[in-house]
Amino acid sequence: MQQQEIIELLLQRNEKGMDALLLHYGPMMKYIIAPILQNPQDQEDCLFEVAMRVWEKIEQFNRERGSWNAWLTAITRNAALNYTRDTRRHNSIEEIPEDTPSPEPGPEELMIQRERQSAVHHALSQLSPRDRMLFYRKYYYLQPTAQIASELGMTERAIEGKLYRLKKQLRKMLGGEAHE
Amino acid sequence: MSNHEWESLNDKEFETILEKSVSDFPPDDVIEAVTPWRKAMRRVLIGMALCAVTLNFLCLNYILPAVGMVLSLLGFRTLRRENKWFRNCFIISVIRVAYFFPVLILNTTIIQRIIFTSPVTSLLTVTNLLLLFAELFCFWCALRTVQRKVNLPPRAGSALALIIWYALMCVLAVIQYKGWVIGGAMIIGYIFIIFHIFKLSKELDEAGYSIQTVSAKVTERCIVLVLLSVLIIGCALGYLFGGSYPMDWRTVDSSEHIAVEGIKKHLMELGFPEYVLNDLTPEDIAACDGALQVVVAVTDKPVNNGRTVTKQYSHGDEHHIVHKTIYDAKELRMTGVGVQIPGEREKWIIFHHFLWIIDPGFYGTESIQLWPVYRNIADGWAPDGKVTGRVLYDKGGETFVAPYYSLDNQTFTSNSIFWGVQTSTDVFAAFSMPRQGENYRGYVAYPIAEIQDSYIITSWINYTHQRSWLQYPAMTAMEKRMTNSWNVSGAFITVQDALQFYPTKEGAELIK
Repeated sequence: MQQQEIIELLLQRNEKGMDALLLHYGPMMKYIIAPILQNPQDQEDCLFEVAMRVWEKIEQFNRERGSWNAWLTAITRNAALNYTRDTRRHNSIEEIPEDTPSPEPGPEELMIQRERQSAVHHALSQLSPRDRMLFYRKYYYLQPTAQIASELGMTERAIEGKLYRLKKQLRKMLGGEAHE
Repeated sequence: MSNHEWESLNDKEFETILEKSVSDFPPDDVIEAVTPWRKAMRRVLIGMALCAVTLNFLCLNYILPAVGMVLSLLGFRTLRRENKWFRNCFIISVIRVAYFFPVLILNTTIIQRIIFTSPVTSLLTVTNLLLLFAELFCFWCALRTVQRKVNLPPRAGSALALIIWYALMCVLAVIQYKGWVIGGAMIIGYIFIIFHIFKLSKELDEAGYSIQTVSAKVTERCIVLVLLSVLIIGCALGYLFGGSYPMDWRTVDSSEHIAVEGIKKHLMELGFPEYVLNDLTPEDIAACDGALQVVVAVTDKPVNNGRTVTKQYSHGDEHHIVHKTIYDAKELRMTGVGVQIPGEREKWIIFHHFLWIIDPGFYGTESIQLWPVYRNIADGWAPDGKVTGRVLYDKGGETFVAPYYSLDNQTFTSNSIFWGVQTSTDVFAAFSMPRQGENYRGYVAYPIAEIQDSYIITSWINYTHQRSWLQYPAMTAMEKRMTNSWNVSGAFITVQDALQFYPTKEGAELIK
């Protein structure tokens, strides 16, 4: 089934769209979830959550902001990160005092975050495609070194070396010297 | 965020901020690249495409399959743990590389033609084809297994089509089809199949996310470097030690001519050049006992491309440009000698002697193709014994001598644009010369007897010299000559010389 057909079925609130989504994009979603959530049961639960989010937010999908795969990737990654945060919060709920400030960022923090995003985005645009891909694997997909190494046909040691040099380069680009 | 703030972060904080600062939507090129499947699959497919391409120029018929096999090997290596079919593909690709790379190295030596005799080549070709079919079949099964794993309908028709395409190619090869119609259709079919396999691979990207990769102890770069190093070192050793014939060199016994001194003296009185006479075996000198007359022709031949000189001149209104090749050096002295010996009917012994006046540099093999008198004038002359000869060189004041590596009749088939396919039988002398030496020389000799009167004597030799080590696959000067190629072709250059004269009772009349 073509991508457009799946999107249209989802927009029409047709359940066949959900089946097709899981059939065709389930492996990709699982691939994104796996490095963030190690527990297989959590992965299954999270996949269900992602599917639900897609069902709910399909109208927000806008091709001008990014491709279908990019949108799905973002939704899946965010869902997996939220799932981790929720699980952590749930496990430690009894220890949190009543007067703890909200974890949500304030307006000033949001502004700083935007500035950082812009600086990182600019630095990333100056990296070679290979380094940029490595960066995304590590800091966006949150893939462990072993996975990156096996998928790129390199040893973990080689990946660690590359990541070290990449970090050093980014620090230099962003204006900070490396902490040895 | 100021520079100062970035500076103040420790390593962990820096990493945390990087994670938080990546925008939500990753770029499309990253989305496409981050998958365990695509890179491995592209390698396999490009590898398969390269292995099927045969371009017979610039050694691409070797380079492309070699690159293709390595790409397939790396691709299947990544996918080998996914299912048993991919593992089988990997094993087969290892076997194919293990077979192909030694062949590439052997091709730099002249022993490859001894090893790869017709039955061995047939056996290897059949084995290679069986491996190829096995790999394609396993590949087809592997793709279907991946699809089934993620509940997608198993469809890999284009991989199956590739198996059928190869089978048809085998049939065309067996029936030796040379037409353009089916050949053209096969090329179009191949492009179509490869296009569809790439399309299928793209479709399989969805399923490919479920692929299980394995952590590697050896990097791909390391594998490629090892293979490349083995190839380079193997080829270098092949060119260094595998390009020459093993010659049985020994010092000349200074007393070898004592028994034939009288004959030598008589021959010199008749005009036989001393420098040629000194190189002959005692048996060849003894065969000239009682010589009646001697005919000699000496020519210095260039064994280089010369330089082109262009001259312009005017004749009235007409302007002419003349290109002329000037040879500043003539490296090879060819001496043809005919010795008439007593007999009921006229008998001659023909000698073709060569002497390198300037060291040309020896890189592998040399050959002499002999066109004896009785080859062209079979009505007038007949062979009266076998062809003999030897090669010599000087080093440190000593003379070294060796019999030819081979000196016998060779039957060969050549294809010429002028004469078409021809099968010939000629006498060939094959030999190699050492690199450190001087006065490289040698000769061939053969006796003839008259059948009918009034026929001229015309005897030819074609000396083929290897002037570079760089040739792939390596061939000997003799093999090159047998291809009936141009006189200056690739690593070889051929020089032709003839001894031609009218034998009369009053004395031979040399034809120049």
